[in-house]
Order: sequence, then C-alpha cells, then structure tokens
Amino acid sequence: MDLKAKIEKHLLEIQKPSRYIGGEVGSVIKDRDKVDVRFAFCFPDTYDIGMSHLGMKILYSLTNERENYWCERCFAPSEDFEQIMRENDIPLYALESLDPICDFDFIGFTLQYELSYANILNMLDLAGIPVFAKDRTPELTQIVVAGGPCVCNPEPLADFFDIFILGEGEEVNLELMDLYWEMKQKGAARLEFLRAAAQIEGIYVPQFYHFSYKEDGTIDRLDVDEGIPATVRKRIIYDYDKVYYPDNFVVPFTEIVHDRVSVEVLRGCIRGCRFCQAGFIYRPFREKSADTIYKETKCLCENTGYDEVSLASLSTSDHYDIDNMLTKLIDYTAGERINLSLPSLRMDNFSESLLNKIKKVRKSGLTFAAEGGTQRLRDVINKNITEDEIMNTCRIAFEGGYTSVKLYFMMGLPTETDDDIIGIAELAQRVVDLFYSIEDRPRGKSVQVSVSCATFVPKPFTPFEFEPQDTRGMIEHKQKLLLDSTKSKKVKISYHDPNVSMLEVILAKGDRRLCPAIYAAWKKGCKFDSWDEYFNFDRWMEAFADCGIDPSFYANRRFEYDEILPWDHLDYLVDKAFLVRENKTAHQSLTTPNCRQRCSGCGVNKKVGRECFASGKSNV
Amino acid sequence: MLRVRATFEKKGRAKYISHLDLNRCMLRTFRRSRLPVWYTEGFNPHPYYSFALALSLGFESSCEILDFNITDDNMSMEEIRDALNAVMPEGMGIVKVALQQQKITAIAKAEYAFSLVTEDSAGLYGAVQSLLSQPEIPIEKKTKKGIKTVDIKPDTEVLTCTDTGHSVDITMYLPAGTQTNYNPTLFIEALRRTTEIPFEPANIRRTAILCADNTVFE
Repeated sequence: MDLKAKIEKHLLEIQKPSRYIGGEVGSVIKDRDKVDVRFAFCFPDTYDIGMSHLGMKILYSLTNERENYWCERCFAPSEDFEQIMRENDIPLYALESLDPICDFDFIGFTLQYELSYANILNMLDLAGIPVFAKDRTPELTQIVVAGGPCVCNPEPLADFFDIFILGEGEEVNLELMDLYWEMKQKGAARLEFLRAAAQIEGIYVPQFYHFSYKEDGTIDRLDVDEGIPATVRKRIIYDYDKVYYPDNFVVPFTEIVHDRVSVEVLRGCIRGCRFCQAGFIYRPFREKSADTIYKETKCLCENTGYDEVSLASLSTSDHYDIDNMLTKLIDYTAGERINLSLPSLRMDNFSESLLNKIKKVRKSGLTFAAEGGTQRLRDVINKNITEDEIMNTCRIAFEGGYTSVKLYFMMGLPTETDDDIIGIAELAQRVVDLFYSIEDRPRGKSVQVSVSCATFVPKPFTPFEFEPQDTRGMIEHKQKLLLDSTKSKKVKISYHDPNVSMLEVILAKGDRRLCPAIYAAWKKGCKFDSWDEYFNFDRWMEAFADCGIDPSFYANRRFEYDEILPWDHLDYLVDKAFLVRENKTAHQSLTTPNCRQRCSGCGVNKKVGRECFASGKSNV
Repeated sequence: MLRVRATFEKKGRAKYISHLDLNRCMLRTFRRSRLPVWYTEGFNPHPYYSFALALSLGFESSCEILDFNITDDNMSMEEIRDALNAVMPEGMGIVKVALQQQKITAIAKAEYAFSLVTEDSAGLYGAVQSLLSQPEIPIEKKTKKGIKTVDIKPDTEVLTCTDTGHSVDITMYLPAGTQTNYNPTLFIEALRRTTEIPFEPANIRRTAILCADNTVFE
C-alpha cells in the first residue's frame, strides 16, 4: 500500500484531518523526478501553529522559485495522529509530495522557542532519521539543519544537528543548497560537504567545535578544528527594501493561529529594551518603504483571498513613514473590505491620529507592554516609557470608546524589589481610576484592566544574558504579593507557570552538556512543552538529574562578564563589550536612548560597514 | 442582480475539508476570483452565499450546490464558472453555473453511492438483502433533544446492490433537505449490527440532489 493510501485509511479517525493531507491553495507541487535538491521545512509544533509562521512562508516560496529545488512543509503531528503513525509504520512525511522526509536532502527545522526542542527529537524519530548527528549516514543526504532566533545559542541541540544557519535565511539557504548540489554531483561525502559548508558566512557546523570545562562547571576553552572559522557571523540582508517577499501564501483549510496575510514592515528594533532578545539579534534596524509594503499587501491579498492583513514587525509605530504607510494601506483595505490589524504599537508614540486610523478598521482589544511596575524598574530594563505616557495612551483609548486594556508585565527582572511588584498593582489601579475620571468615558460599561505577568527569562545576546533568573520561591512570593496588593475587582491578574520559565532559561542559556538531558527528557515522553496540558516539569527535572545536570547552574547563577559563554563564538554583530556596558548601566538604573536618537555603539554599524540611519530613515 | 446556483464537485483530498472549513474556503475563493459577488449590508459585510446541503467529512460529491448573487447582470454563466475554476482548491471544481430555478425547500432527497469492502462479498450481499427485507430498520439518531430511535426503512430506497467479488456496491436515495436528512452511515451502522462479517465502507459519495419526484434539483 502506498503511503498516501496508508494515511487516508486513518484520516477520518483523527481531529482536523485536513492538516495531514496537503492540497491547500498556494502549495507548490513539482515533479519529484525533475528536482535536484529536496528540502523539508519542519516546524516543531502542530500545523495550526507552524502554518502561522512567517519565516516559513518566505523561505518556502523563495526556495520554490528555483525550478530544480523543492521545499515542502512538515509539522509535528498531534498525539492522536502520532499514535496512528507509529502503529501503522507511517513515517513523518512532507505535505506536498506525501513522501517520507528521511529521503530528503535537507531536513530543516526552525527554532522559534526553546520549549519546542523535545518535539524536534520526536519528529526526527518519527521520520526514521537518527536523532544524533553522529549516527547519520556518511553519504551526502539527510542533512539536518536549523535556523531561527534560538539558533543564537544552539549548543543544547548541538549533538542533534549537522548545521545551524545563523541570521536571515533569504540568501544563505540558497547558497547552502547550491553548494550541496554542486558537491552531490561530484559524489562528495557528508563530511566533505560539512567542511565546505562551514566556510560560508552564517553556517555553523557544531561537530567541528569542541568545548572543555573548568572544575566549577564553566567553560574553560573552545577548540576549533583546523581550517574551520573560529567564530561564525550571522547573515543579514543588506538591501532590505528589495529583499524577496512571497507573492502567495499556502492558504490552509483548517483555522490556524494567525489566519491572515502577514506583511513585514521592518526588521530589527531601535529601542534596545534590555530584556528583549529580538531587539538585539535582529539588528540592524531596516525598514521597507511604504510603497513596497503597499504592493506586497495588495499582491498577497489578491492571491490568497484573505480578508485580513496584519503588519509584522517588532514595533510598527517606529516606522519612519507610518502615517503615509497606514493611509495608503487603509485606502486599499477599506475599499476591499479587508481588516487591517496592527500589533506591536508602542505607548510613547501612540497618537490620536494613529488610534483613529486603527478604529476605522476594526475595534479589537488594546494591549500595552509596560513591562515594569515602577519608573525605576522601567529604566533598569530600558523600556523608555513614562507613567504619563502610559496614562495618556489609556486616556486616548478610553475617550475613543475602549473599555478594556491589557497590560503586560514581567516579574523577576534584575534589581526588582517588592516595591516594584506593588507598583504593578498600583499602576493598574491608577488606570482604573483614570477611566472613572474621564468626562466622556463610554457609559453603561465598566472598565476592565487585565494584567498579565510573565516570569522574566534572561536570554543570550541581551544585556541581561549574565543575569540569574529568580528562583521559584522568589517568584511565588512576588505572585502572592501582587495578588494581595490588588484591591479592585476591575483589575484581573494572570501569570505564567514559573516552572515553564525555568525550563525556558535552562534551554536558552545552556551549553552542549544539555544534549543528553534533552534526549533523556524526550525518551521519558516530554513533548509539546509549550502546551499546558503536556508540560511535565518533573519529568524534565528527572532527566536533568539522570544526566548529572544541576538546573540552577544555568537558571539561577550569575554568569560573569569575563566568563566564556556557550554562545561567545557566534557573532550576532552586537559586541559583547556593549552588552556588558548596558548591563552595568542597567544596574545604575540609567537608560540608553533609542538608536534613532543617538547611536549607543552596539558595534553593528562597524561590522555592517555603514551607519544605521541617514536623515531619520534607516539605511536599507 | 443574478441569483446564481453553482454545482460543484468535491473529490480527492478535498473530501477532508469540513463543512465549517468549506465556508471559509469559499469566502477566499470568491475573493480570489474577483467576481462581483453581492455582499451583505450589515455591520460586518461579507459575500452572501449558501450551501444547499452540508456534506459529511470524508464524503466525495459530484453535485454540491452553492447559491450566491452576482451584481453584474451582464456576466455570462460561463464567465462565472471559469473565474471560480481558475482559483478553486485541488479536488474542487464548478461543474455548472445557472440561474436558480427552484427554491431550496424543493430538495427532498439525495442519491448516494458507496462500496462495502469485504473478503466475503457473497455473505455480505446476503446480509444487505436480509436487512432490506426486515419490516423496519431502527437506528439511533442524535437530535437536538437527545437520542431517538427512528425507522429508516420507509425512506431508504435502494437503487442498485451489486456483489463485485471483493465488495458490495450500493446506490440509494435518502431523504435530504430542510426537513429530514439521513446519512448513508446510518444504514451502514444498521448493517454492522445485523452481521458478523467484517467490512469497511469506502468511496462514499453523493451523486445527485433531487426533488420529491426524483428530478434533479436545479
């Protein structure tokens, strides 16, 4: 029985079968006998989540523009289908050809969040691909690669991957595939290819790098094989306004998390919030012109038939030409009855005219990230927002008819005291009071202020990469304090499970010694750790214990400035000296202006070879 | 305004598109086609369209019916058909577009065809015949008010029943429309309760939507 028939035999027994059979509008079908290199783009979570990922859409279309390359999609099956796959010998397959991905040239994962790591092992296993890189065939096939933000510290996964791709993939992915095809034709072996690939900027082949450790557990030194670059620099797109953008998306049948057209408006962020990894690893800041954004929006809406479009960026309101851009977009979307949504707006430049533009489109909820409860703490994290700005934004929103706002905070930030926690409750209360002080507030409705509190996770390549995470005891104390300090019923508090954040920091800041523990956790049944119903902290802790790993070494220890960090050999363009400087500034509760106001000297401009801004506009 | 009725097929992988998903899928298909479909005029305008009958997940069909309005009176039926076919998903295609002739309430029944795959087709054929010769075929049907037992015998019209050697192939009429809707799986479940012979239903498909006098609904 062929694989398709085998799959179809069971499809009606499972939830949302259209996730497993392909055939969506916009999916790219090629003749398998006429393509030279096949790439399985794997997202280590379910279809509903993975299909929402913009990076996959870009790289999928980009690769498929090349006639002789075929990129297909692959996702983690839900538990019901995984069971059927295992019972009926259905190997993990790609959705376009329904061919098993173990026969592909490249098996590429995107590392979007640490809690998906166990799923990667599970997917490799379902595919029948050896989980450890060292166990794979010496022949040139089945190259397991990864890209995405978490690749900035890929060490906890180093044993499972042949190649990590650092930075933006639009150019380097094709360079890697070109090299592969060239060497494949010459009959090269796997190791030869990996050695050659390691010479490409942005390509990191972990098996050529060897760590040794001191007695205290910190890294002693890194030895690199002969002929292999000592550091690997991430790739960026220099001409961002002209970078490839797809003219079509795969349009799913089943509803996915972000079921809409997504158009990227800018890359990087000028703000330099010290906790935010994205704000540092995506530098330099680059913007697309309003014209390009408009053209891409129109083209994608027409080709996909979506009636909703969202602008993707770290901070949309920082676009140099936002008013003109939105005017252009709203002209189009209103005429075509398309909803435009604008996530990622900042409080400090949230103007009335901007709000009116959003309101014209649709009345959805307003969410603001205040991050810290007191000005002192907001200065520490360099979230350059004052209380006046927060209040002013909420006032505009209330006067504009909104009756609920959502405020995001973090708990466990460096230097945080009980006063900062009480500050969250007080700030929320002042927002409630503000509502009732407004003359023309919406009548007949009560106000709702939702406070969502996440546990701070220090991340590599941020000024807080050195910081310890609060212990569970400390977080529990702060959570209780926040609840006790909240008096009003109009304030709703919610927070995250601190255990999840602890696992996150271990995997984010860990080194190569974690590989066996991740393997052990997966063997114990850990998967879908970002899903509440699957997350099993105890199993992870058992796995760490079995492998002799002390979780607090990674989670709750301050990493020294002069310590060799597991990601020090990876160059994300931002200087470590700058991160140290910013860390010290944070501890003095001093802020750093945003990049448009004044260059903070992170080092990116020197490495890129040009200033980030020219007359207020980013150099693209 | 043209009140249009499209007949479309849903085959192959498209049979895994659920009815709910089909709604979203058609909305996007209309938008891609750029046809001048009439939009509702409420608070949240959307293209007006409706399916005559829902099709169960996993069933194929050659005769699904979709009604919508076109605001440009000068468009030909062929133009509308071609514009939609150019942007339909794999497995779905417009067979015919015509002006609406009858009211939706004229639908009374649907014709289904399916195979019951088995190693003992002669035995299963006998079991089907004996089920059909029973005075009644009681089945439990889920309704809004709970589970009730109904006799589907009077409404089940078997047209053909063939022993192919590896399956029993059946075509039948079942009630459909705004009043009563029976699904062939009801008959299949009833058969399962009366025979020990193992079988698997396959290729269930709707082949016609009919009026009370067995003429094709148009």
